[in-house]
Amino acid sequence: MASQGLTYDGCNFFRQRLVLSTLSGKRVKIRNIRSKDDNPGLRDFEASFIRLLDKITNGTRIEINQTGTVLFYQPGLLYGGVVEHECNTQRSVGYYLEALLMLAPFMKNPLKAVLKGVTNDPTDPSVDQLKYTSIPVMKRFGIDGEGVLTPAKCMEVRSFCLCLRTCIFLYSVRVSPQMANRIVDSARSILNKFIPDIYIYTDHMKGDKSGKSPGFGLTLVAETLNGTFLSAEQVSTPQGQGDPVLPEDLGRNCAKLLLEEIYRGGCIDSANQSLALVYMTLGQQDVSKVLLGHLSPYTIEFLRHMRDFFQMMFKIETQKPAEDERKGGDKVLMTCVGAGYTNISKSIK
Amino acid sequence: MEGKEPKKEQKRHQQKHSGPKAERKKSRKQLGTPAGDDERKRNPKAFAVQSAVRMAKTFHRAQDLKAKKHHIPLVDRTPLEPPPIVVVVVGPPKVGKSTLIRCLIKNFTRQKLADICGPVTIVSGKKRRLTFIECSNDINTMIDLAKVADLVLMLIDASFGFEMETFEFLNICQVHGFPRIMGVLTHLDSFRNNKALRKTKKRLKHRFWTEVYQGAKLFYLSGMVYGEYQTQEVKNLGRFISVMKFRPLVWQQSHPYVVADRMEDLTDPEMVRVDPKCDRTVSLYGYLRGTYLKNKGQVHIPGVGDFAVADISFLPDPCALPEAQKKRALNEKERLLYAPMAGVGGVVYDKDAVYIDLPGGHVNQEQVRPTTELVQSLISTHTTLDAKMAASKVSLFTGAAALTPGEVEEEENDRVWDPETQRERRKAVFTEEEDDDDSEGRSEEEGDEEGESEEEGEEDEEGNKREEEEETVLKNKAKDKTEPKEKQGIKTIPPAKRQKMEERKLGKEPVVEVPAFADSEDELEMSEEEEGGKGEQESEGEESDSEGEEDEEDSAVEKGDLKPIDSGHCSEEEDASDSIEDDCETNVSGKEGKKSNATSKMEEEDEEMEGGELCYESAGNILSIQRSLRWKEGLQQKASEAFLRQQRSAPNLRKLVYGTVAEDDGDGGEDEEELGGLFRVSRPEKGKKHRADGVDCSRFDPDAINIVFQMLDSIRDCFVTGKWEDDQDAATLLKEDEELYGEFEDLETGEVHKGKAAKQKDQAKEESDDDEEEEEEKLMNVDDETQKNKRLEKKRRLKERFDTEYDDGDATYFDDLKEEMQKQAELNRAEFEDVDDETRVQYEGFRPGMYVRVEIPSLPCEFVTNFDPHYPIILGALGASEGNVGYLQMRLKKHRWHSRILKTRDPLILSLGWRRFQTIPLYHIEDHNGRHRLLKYTPQHMHCGATIWGPITPQGTGFLAVQSVAGTKTSFRIAATGVVLDLDKSVTIVKKLKLIGYPYKIYKNTSFIKGMFNTVLEVAKFEGGSIRTVSGVRGQIKKALSTPAGAYRATFEDRLLMSDIVFLRSWYPVSVPQLYNPVTSLLMPAGQKDSWSGMRTVGQLKHDLGVRNKPNTDSLYKPVVRAQRHFNKLHIPRELQKALPFKSKPKQDQPKGKMPKDLQRPAVIREPHERKVAALLNALSAVHNYKSKKAHTAQHAKHKDFLRQRSKAEEDKLKRQKEAKKKLYRMMGQKEKKSQRSSLKGESTEWDA
Repeated sequence: MASQGLTYDGCNFFRQRLVLSTLSGKRVKIRNIRSKDDNPGLRDFEASFIRLLDKITNGTRIEINQTGTVLFYQPGLLYGGVVEHECNTQRSVGYYLEALLMLAPFMKNPLKAVLKGVTNDPTDPSVDQLKYTSIPVMKRFGIDGEGVLTPAKCMEVRSFCLCLRTCIFLYSVRVSPQMANRIVDSARSILNKFIPDIYIYTDHMKGDKSGKSPGFGLTLVAETLNGTFLSAEQVSTPQGQGDPVLPEDLGRNCAKLLLEEIYRGGCIDSANQSLALVYMTLGQQDVSKVLLGHLSPYTIEFLRHMRDFFQMMFKIETQKPAEDERKGGDKVLMTCVGAGYTNISKSIK
Repeated sequence: MEGKEPKKEQKRHQQKHSGPKAERKKSRKQLGTPAGDDERKRNPKAFAVQSAVRMAKTFHRAQDLKAKKHHIPLVDRTPLEPPPIVVVVVGPPKVGKSTLIRCLIKNFTRQKLADICGPVTIVSGKKRRLTFIECSNDINTMIDLAKVADLVLMLIDASFGFEMETFEFLNICQVHGFPRIMGVLTHLDSFRNNKALRKTKKRLKHRFWTEVYQGAKLFYLSGMVYGEYQTQEVKNLGRFISVMKFRPLVWQQSHPYVVADRMEDLTDPEMVRVDPKCDRTVSLYGYLRGTYLKNKGQVHIPGVGDFAVADISFLPDPCALPEAQKKRALNEKERLLYAPMAGVGGVVYDKDAVYIDLPGGHVNQEQVRPTTELVQSLISTHTTLDAKMAASKVSLFTGAAALTPGEVEEEENDRVWDPETQRERRKAVFTEEEDDDDSEGRSEEEGDEEGESEEEGEEDEEGNKREEEEETVLKNKAKDKTEPKEKQGIKTIPPAKRQKMEERKLGKEPVVEVPAFADSEDELEMSEEEEGGKGEQESEGEESDSEGEEDEEDSAVEKGDLKPIDSGHCSEEEDASDSIEDDCETNVSGKEGKKSNATSKMEEEDEEMEGGELCYESAGNILSIQRSLRWKEGLQQKASEAFLRQQRSAPNLRKLVYGTVAEDDGDGGEDEEELGGLFRVSRPEKGKKHRADGVDCSRFDPDAINIVFQMLDSIRDCFVTGKWEDDQDAATLLKEDEELYGEFEDLETGEVHKGKAAKQKDQAKEESDDDEEEEEEKLMNVDDETQKNKRLEKKRRLKERFDTEYDDGDATYFDDLKEEMQKQAELNRAEFEDVDDETRVQYEGFRPGMYVRVEIPSLPCEFVTNFDPHYPIILGALGASEGNVGYLQMRLKKHRWHSRILKTRDPLILSLGWRRFQTIPLYHIEDHNGRHRLLKYTPQHMHCGATIWGPITPQGTGFLAVQSVAGTKTSFRIAATGVVLDLDKSVTIVKKLKLIGYPYKIYKNTSFIKGMFNTVLEVAKFEGGSIRTVSGVRGQIKKALSTPAGAYRATFEDRLLMSDIVFLRSWYPVSVPQLYNPVTSLLMPAGQKDSWSGMRTVGQLKHDLGVRNKPNTDSLYKPVVRAQRHFNKLHIPRELQKALPFKSKPKQDQPKGKMPKDLQRPAVIREPHERKVAALLNALSAVHNYKSKKAHTAQHAKHKDFLRQRSKAEEDKLKRQKEAKKKLYRMMGQKEKKSQRSSLKGESTEWDA
């Protein structure tokens, strides 16, 4: 009776699989999780993620074998409500938030999640970045504020507009305030060549307000004329891990990353591609299109998973820039027919 | 009749020439004001606003009426070529259903169908097809068909009136969305009396209206002529059907479904022989309806169960609509009829065999052909499959190639006699399917291919594959040179695309000497990607930007190809992974220049390589152009180019993402693991493993931040500071402004300011009006033209902007919404319009209206062995999570016509979504505080909640419940109806639980209670709980006591009595029994399909087993025995007696007993004389009495008289006295008046004086 499940190997794209499984209702089995590793099995942050999923759903069945190398996940209904979660510190809050953003609109009750954990780390998008880039993407699909979305609105996003201005979000914790200035100077040295319109928000914390670990980081957000946002981010390596980073290098690198992001272009920045695609997939049975920059590896795998879970294939067309145009690299136009997803967790009275 | 009568001459109208009327008219004419026009002017008061309130009211009302007409606008998703409309003919037995279908079919197609068996599809008009299905009296069938019907023809026997079946069906329809319903009255010829007929018609019509809607169409079929309905009436009915419009039904619009009109068993006959009960693989055919159907989904077959679809493919339409034409009617050839189950269309279904009718004796030859063609193609491919298997084995051990040809020949012999046998036909379908999509045989086949060819991975297109199969066969046969005929057969058949490839293949044929070549050749199109991937893989190390490195690359590729099998094999997985690491470039470089050379594999390789090159810098273009010069030779290459042009629409990015084969899943990896069981493909596991355990991170950062300045330059236009689009660039805009506003004339001073451009123009004019004039003019003209165009464009844009800003007076929100929907619909239509069906199907799924073939593995064997075409087979696709089971909360109401209320935990059969299943509901009702309290029975006339364990179905879906689907025992079979409210994985139903205890020690307000709990632990759980006694004294549990286990101390608001009973009211959660038992009525043996019975209720079980409950003895009624009551004597103490008054004192007198004999006096007996005396005395006294009585009456009368007289006298006297008094008073009054007047007079005179 129950729908057939899917089997995967390895812990890569762990979140994708669980999130899509939850949305599609298909059970999933992940085997060989770090089975050849010295420290086999699920890591703490993955376990914490599973626990978070368990909190926001109702009737989820999770089975993990003794070594933690095999996970069986049978999704329940997305319940939502008020959730408080102590996130594992191995990954930052962004790790959890990314998944929650995909699930949140399809809950029974509006989700109000309080996540406690590390806000920035080098691997995951920081809270700032998510706030400035993901939320506008969600708004594009008609998701704003609290509210439960039934079917996502169809969307056609095609024209990529010009960058209007750039914002710098800067934070430094338990380091000299001079650092911030150095970062800003170095970032500006590159960005000023393109656009002088730069807004800087500095967030310097010291003393009691700051957390335990010193460090600094930079989020660059470029806003375009039609309200899309592209962003890049760099964070200093944590103390005692890896070689220390010079603030100048960090600023310069981050600026270059932003330029790279702009070069790739698209209406949605590379970190949010999968978010937009999931909303498109779960929309009404209409054609929706979105113009993306280069597909990130994460997105490519996401597309494959989407085919596994929803039998959804995107029409992928490359748009090459004209000869004399200087608007970055090739763009990719993604087209799909929505799956006609209905929010079955919502209750009617 | 009236027309024939001579018309009476009527007096003609005489124009008045004089008189007031004529004058009025004349004056009006002179004034020149047309009548009516100036009425508002002439009589403004009549048209003035009388009351603002009233006006507001009328306005409101008008707006209300307008708004009422609005529906929520929906995107129009109806397919361009809609599937046939499902017309279900329903009615009680013997009402004339089959006759009606037969008549309608005859009306539309001029054909007679003897047996209506399964769905019958016909072309009824230029734009409409109909599928007729007859619905039997079985409630299973009724439920299933109500879910798929577009139009219901409800037959009613007028001579009998409505029957329960009709109402049952109407109720079923109501629950599952209401399709169009048309009533048809039959048996009207049984009425002798015209008046009775009319009355019956009217009565039935009105009843029908109340059930459907006011004014619902009811048709009358007035009688039979030679066993058929009257032609004219049938024609009318047909017309109604073919112009009818349908309303969208929510369920049908959101779920794809197929009403199967053909079924074939694909199971290997050998397996069936070994185990006749083995699970079957079955392919079902039918038109897809509803919405898009994705491949490999889950379907539910009502009456069988849930199944995963192995494969879906679309077939040419067997009953196609005629092509666009201008004439009104269909010609004979276009009146198609397709009913494979009824023996039309070439296939006859019998109970245990399927017969194929090949000769084109039927009118509809076109549709017969596909099947035969199909059969033929199947036959051929079937053998090739086997042959190929053998062949592939051969090529695996490259040296041993000589082994198999003999075997292959044998197989081919099979093929010759194949078409007759039914088995083969099945086979045939199997292969036929294969050419549409992949199948079971595929994996082996693929493995083989992998074994034999090096660069071959997985194929993209089915045609390709098929071709390849043939290729392999060909290869094997190369020496034998057999079977040109077979090839011929295939060539004629396949659709255009395949044909093209075949052609290509033909061209190549001379070259196909070496097996390896053959493969690489026809793989052309896919190898391109594969190689692309590989090339990229190779070029990872090297920088593939420069031309100079090209050769080196080629060599590298060659090397790669010469490497063992795996390099080609792992292409899909690996190239994907590699490309990912490569930042997923888009490879769009020089594909157009692709050539296909038959001669050298190497060369092809390197082109492929080039085609697949992934590079950011499009330097590759130059390369390709160069190459293209070399390639202009050979016909073949042209063909390949044409093919590639087609391919260009799907760029390689798609292959990068989805792998080579669109259909192929990630699970393919497992199949590939083994080759023939013996050998394993050794793969570079390392890379894969690395990927499998990679960091889960969504970041997309290049490994090293090395931004070339060229790149920096290339994004300069991405900023507002850079150059914008031609017409929006800052510089041009400024210039335009100049043009627009630069030139003006100062009106006050009369000075003319000229813009720069104009000045220049003037200057230019002045300067050059000599010999260059002509040229100049030409240029100017061109210039003017462009400028004019520009201006126009600009104007248009301005106007648009203005319009959007100010012109939305009429455009309401509703209009906007509608327009938006319209746009979306257009986009939906246009997006995939020019994509060929094969690819389109991958993107959007199978369109409704397609004729599809659905292959389902592991169906229970009973489905095939007990197949009965009279029962509809419906494939209902399930949504994303509708395949799961969970708890459903629903609102339920017992049907008012069902005779009994329903009991909690009695199994009930529900029809919900596509499914029919048995489950155990718990009924509950919501209390005022939101608590769901369990009910033992459903309320009689009220909604209640019900919770079941069942398939997840979207909220808002209606359902209906029956107690049994077997037979028609009950008067009304539908037990309840309702709607799904909520899906939850947890249940919150509670039932009341009263725990009872007894006090055993009482101190003031504290008591010790025992008997309520058994252990201290239990008490601890209820500490603080409120308790109550029967008499209403409230209390609280305080603490457990140790000695009697389960006793506790409690305090109350008052002192208890030992006789009090203490109870604790609590709520106990109830768990819903997890029974989900699909009704498998289709699996029952033929003839017993309406006798499915599932789990029995306890009551039924007891009844069937003859078990009787032992009743509770306390509940039994016993004869009432009352003991005689004895009361003691009232004893009053002596003291009290003394004090009592005499009245209340107990009297001493005893009741009189019997008189003692001595006290009794003797009776007196008189003497005769004495008797006489006594008689006389008696008589005398009687006389006396009479006399005195008489006297008394006389006296009485006299007295009365006297009284009357006296009263009269009295009256007279009073009268007299009154008169006298009156006289006296009058006199007195006059006197007084007189005196008064005189006094007044005296005064007035005085005053006058």
